[in-house]
Amino acid sequence: MIEVRGVRKWIQNGTRRVEILKGIDISIPSGQFVAIVGASGSGKSTLLGLLAGLDTPSEGEIWLDGTPIHNLEEEALSAVRGQKLGFVFQSYQLIPTLTALENVLLPFELNLPGNGINRARKLLEQVGLAERMDHYPVQLSGGEQQRVALARAFIVEPPIVMADEPTGNLDTVNGQRVLELLLSRNNLAGTTLVLVTHDPQVAALAHRKIVLRDGLVVEDILSAESAQVPMAAQGLANGGVR
Amino acid sequence: MAQRSLTWRRAAVIAGRDLRSAPGKFVFVVLSVAVGVAALVGVRGFSESFRSTLTREARSLMAGDLSARTNQQPSNAELQKIESLKGRGIHSTWVTETISMASVPPDPVPILVSLKAVDPAEYPYYGKAELEPDIPLATALTDNSVVVAEEFLIRLKAKVGDTLRLGGHNFRISARLVQEPDRITAGAGLGPRVLISRAALDETNLLAPGSRAGERLLIQLPTTLQTAAQLATVRKQVEAMLPEAQVMDFREGNPALTEGLDRATAILSLICLVAMVLGAIGVAMSMHAHLDQRMDVLAILKAIGAGSGDLLRIFLLQTMGLGLAGAILGVAAGAGVMLALPAVFGNLLPVHATLAFPWRSALAGLATGLLTTLLFCLPPLLDVRQVRPILVLRRMVEQAEESGFIAFLRRWGQRKLQIAAAFVILIALTAIAAALSDSAQVGVWFGAALAAILFVLLLLSAGFLRLLRWLLKIVRLHLPQYLRQGLANLYRPGNQSAAVLAALGTGVMLILAVYLMQSQVLREIQETASPKLPNIFLVDITTDEVAGMKQFFKTQPGVQDQLELIPVISGRFVSLNGVPLEKLKVEHFPRRMLESVSLSWADAVPDGDKIRQGKWWSDPNAHQIAVGEGIAQRIHVGVGSAVEVEVNGKQLPLTVSAIFRADEQHISGRSGFLLPSGLLKDAPAVWYGAARVDSKQISLIERALFSAFPTVTVINLADVLDRIEGVVRQITFVVRFLAGFSIFAGLMILASSIASTRFRRTREAVVLKTLGATRWRIIRIFSVEFSVLGLLAGTVGAIFANLLTRVLLRKLEAQWHFEWRATLIALIGTAFLAVATGWLASYRILGLRPLEVLREE
Repeated sequence: MIEVRGVRKWIQNGTRRVEILKGIDISIPSGQFVAIVGASGSGKSTLLGLLAGLDTPSEGEIWLDGTPIHNLEEEALSAVRGQKLGFVFQSYQLIPTLTALENVLLPFELNLPGNGINRARKLLEQVGLAERMDHYPVQLSGGEQQRVALARAFIVEPPIVMADEPTGNLDTVNGQRVLELLLSRNNLAGTTLVLVTHDPQVAALAHRKIVLRDGLVVEDILSAESAQVPMAAQGLANGGVR
Repeated sequence: MAQRSLTWRRAAVIAGRDLRSAPGKFVFVVLSVAVGVAALVGVRGFSESFRSTLTREARSLMAGDLSARTNQQPSNAELQKIESLKGRGIHSTWVTETISMASVPPDPVPILVSLKAVDPAEYPYYGKAELEPDIPLATALTDNSVVVAEEFLIRLKAKVGDTLRLGGHNFRISARLVQEPDRITAGAGLGPRVLISRAALDETNLLAPGSRAGERLLIQLPTTLQTAAQLATVRKQVEAMLPEAQVMDFREGNPALTEGLDRATAILSLICLVAMVLGAIGVAMSMHAHLDQRMDVLAILKAIGAGSGDLLRIFLLQTMGLGLAGAILGVAAGAGVMLALPAVFGNLLPVHATLAFPWRSALAGLATGLLTTLLFCLPPLLDVRQVRPILVLRRMVEQAEESGFIAFLRRWGQRKLQIAAAFVILIALTAIAAALSDSAQVGVWFGAALAAILFVLLLLSAGFLRLLRWLLKIVRLHLPQYLRQGLANLYRPGNQSAAVLAALGTGVMLILAVYLMQSQVLREIQETASPKLPNIFLVDITTDEVAGMKQFFKTQPGVQDQLELIPVISGRFVSLNGVPLEKLKVEHFPRRMLESVSLSWADAVPDGDKIRQGKWWSDPNAHQIAVGEGIAQRIHVGVGSAVEVEVNGKQLPLTVSAIFRADEQHISGRSGFLLPSGLLKDAPAVWYGAARVDSKQISLIERALFSAFPTVTVINLADVLDRIEGVVRQITFVVRFLAGFSIFAGLMILASSIASTRFRRTREAVVLKTLGATRWRIIRIFSVEFSVLGLLAGTVGAIFANLLTRVLLRKLEAQWHFEWRATLIALIGTAFLAVATGWLASYRILGLRPLEVLREE
C-alpha cells in the first residue's frame, strides 16, 4: 500500500521558488498496476522519485507499506528501498564493471541473508538471458540490459516495483518483452507496479491511470478490471499483451 | 527488517574491477604514494645500514676494545700504570693526533696536514690500515717514512716515493692511505691525513710540552677478558688511572657520530614526510575526482539499497589498494635511493656503510605510506554519504545550491565528519612526525607548520587564480585565441587548480628555501672574514720562537696589521668557591672542561677586551684571576669568588678580580681565564698568534714561515672557510636531493589532476579539430594552461621560500638579501617542468580522430 498525503515539492532557484508538485493525494492499494502519465514537466518523474524514496517531499507525507518515508534519514531510506522496492530505470543503470549475474545479485547481497546466486540465475533464465549471465553490460544490447535490470529489480521479491519509462529506450519488440515481464510479476506475484510512461498503449494496460498536469493530479481513472486486484493470473498467465 | 551490508569480498570485486576499468588514470596516483615512501625508506634505510655497520665494525672503528682520549700528554706515573696492565695480557698503545705543516720539496709551499702518530707494531688492534701499494703498516712507517692520504698527493702534486718535509725533517712517502680503520673515532681533521710512527714524530720536536695534541690510548683485551662485565671492570680501572681522560668502550661506538646520525636522520625524515604528505594529498585529490566521475554508480547503488557504509567499503578498498601498490613500489624505489645516498653524501661520511635491504625501514615506510594515504582520503570518501540517489533520474531538475554566508555555514555544518577527519589527519601527522624525529615537540611544530603552510599556500593560490580570472574578464577579447582559451582552461569544471598550485608550490618552496639558506649562510660566512680581522692564525709557537716571530712579522712584506700573540698554559681547576671539583654540580659546563683549561696571562686589559665587573690588577704577582663573562655565568663565579687552580704541579689560590668580555676580533679571546704574568711566566707555554696579511701574499708568508719555523702550524682562514663552505654545500645538496622528492610529488599531483580531466580535454580537442584547429594550435592552448600553472606555482613557492628564509635568517641573526637569479630560475624551471609533465599526462589527445571520440558517445 502506498499512501501520499498532501505532498508538495519545490526547489529554490536563486531567490525564485519553482513548484514541481503542488499537492498530491493518492492511495495505491497493494497489487495495483498504476500508470502515471503526463506531459514533460508535469512532475511525474518527480512524483515517482518521491514514491521510491529517492528524494524527500518539501511538504506532506508518504507511506510505503506502512512505513513513513517522508522524513527518514538517507541510511534508513536506503534500507527501505533495498527491501521494499524494485526500481527499473529508462537507461537501465547497470553497474558497468559487474556481469549480468553480479548486477542481479547485488540487491540480494545488500539486503538479504543467505546465498542468492541460484535465485539470480533463475531470474536471468526467466528473462531469457541464461546464456548471457557472465557478460558485462557493454556486451549486451539495450533490450538485454533492461531485462537484466528487471531481474535485478525482482530479486529481493519486493512488494512494490517502480519503473521510469522502462521501454523508453527500446524498440517495439524488446519493449513488449519488458512489459510482459513487468505485468506477469504484477499478475502472478501480486506486486504493486507503478510505472511512469509517455506511451498511451502502455498506460492502457494499467489498472489505473493517474494523469499529472502542472504538478497536480488532473485525472485518476480506474480501468474496468481494477476491482479484481490483484489481477487474476489467468488473464495474462499466457503472457499475452493486451 | 533484516539489515545486511555488502560483504568485503563483494566490495573488493567491485573496487578491483572499477580500478581495472581505467588503469592509466591511477598510475600517477600510485606514483604519488611511491615518491614519499621511496624517500623515507631510502633515508631511514641508509641510516639503518650505517648504524649496523657502526655496530658490526665497532671494534675496527675504534681499533681497540677500549679507548681513552685526553688532550694532555700523559704523565710518567700514568704511563707506568698503563704499562702495568700488560701483566694481565692487556695490550695498549698511544695514538697522537695534531695538526702541522708539511711540504714536498723542492716546492717550499706547505699545507696544513692532520698528523697521526702510531706505533705500527701495535696499531691497529682491530681493522686494517689499507695502503697502496698493499704493504704492512709496519713496513710503511719507519723512522724516515710516512704514509699520506690521496688529498695530500693531489694538492701538492706528489706521488708515492717523493719526499715530504715535516717539522724540519725529510721523510719518504712510502704509500698512499686508502682506508684508516678508526678515522671516525679520530674525528675530522683540518687537513689531509699523514701517518707517521711515534718514533719519527719524537724526532721532529713538533710536540713540545703544552703543544696542542690529542692523545688516544687504545686497549686490546685478551680473549680471556671479553665478557661485558670484564670489559666494564677494565674500563673502570683505566678511568681511575687516567682521571682526566674520556674513556669509551667499543659498544658505545662514537656517541657524537651516532647522535649526529640520529639528528640528521630525523631532519631528513621530516623532509621526506613533506613529500609523503604531498603524495597523500595527490591521492585524495584523485579520489575526489574519481568519485565525482563515479557519481552515477554511487547513485545506482544507493537506489538499489546500498548504504553509505557499503559505498565507503568499496572505495576504501580502492584507496587502500592504490596506497598499497604505491607503498610497495616506493619501498622498491627506496632501496634504490638508499644505494644512491652514499654518492649524494660524498665526503661527509667518514666510513663506508655496508648496505643491506632495510627491512625495518621498509615496514615503517610501508605503514606510513598507507596511513597517510588512508587519512588524507578520508574527507573525499566521507563525501559518498552526500550522494543523492535521485541523480539516477537525470530528468529531474537539480536543486540549485543556496548562496550566501548562512548557506555557506550550513554547508560546512553538514560536513562535521569531514572537519573531524581533518583534525584526525593533523593529529596523526603530528604523531608520525614525532615518531620519525623522536621528539614530541618537533612533531607538534612540524604538524602545525606544515598544516599552516599548506593552508596559506592554498589561500594564496586561490587568490592568484581569482586575480587572474578578474584580469581575464577585462582583457580576454584582446588576447589571441590560444592564450584566451589556455587561461580559461584553468577554470575548467573538474580542474583542481588551486590545490595543484599549493602542492607544487610547496615543493618549490622547500627546494628554493634550502638553496637560499645555503647561499645566504655562505655569504654570511664570507662576510665574517671582515677586512679588519686576522686572516692567518699561528699555532704551537714555542716561547723561544716568540721574539723571532715578532721580528719576522715586523719585517715581512704584506703584513697589514701587527702580530697578536697570546701564551697558553695548560692547567686545571681544583675548586670553585671552596667546593672541590669532583663535588661540583655545574649545569651546561661539563666538569671535564674545568679539569683541563687554557690559561693565559696579561698585566693589562688585552686589546679588544672590556671589563664588565671589577678591576684589573696592577701587581704582576697578585693572586688574582679575570674570567670571561660567558664562562663566569656558567660556572657561577663573580668578582670576589675564590678559586683554586693547578698549574705545572703548583696549586694557586686565586680571587676573581674582574669579569671581562672579549670582542672576538682579537686573539686574546682564545682564553677565558687570564692571570697576572708573575704566576705563569715560568710554566711551559705554547703561543698562539694571529695577523692580518695581504691575501695575495699569504702563500709567500706561509713558505717563509715554514722555512724559518718548521714546527709552527699556519692556518689560512681562506682554506678553513673553503672547507666549511664545502661541507655546507654538501649538506645542502643532500637536503635539496630529498626536497626534490617533494617537487616530484607536486608534479605527480599535477599529472594526476590533468589525467582526471582527460575526458573533458579530449572532447575539447576533438571539438577544436572539428572546427578546423591544427594540432599546433591545440598544443599552444594546452601549453599556455600548463605553463601558467607552473608559473603561478613557482610564484607562490618563491614568495614563501623567501619569507621562510627571511624568518630563519633573522633567528640566526643574519642578513637577508633578495636573490633575483635563483627566484627567476625557480619560476621558469617550474613552468618548464609543469609543461613537460602536463604533456606527458595528455599527449595521446593529439592523436585522436574526432569521429572516434564522438562515436563513443
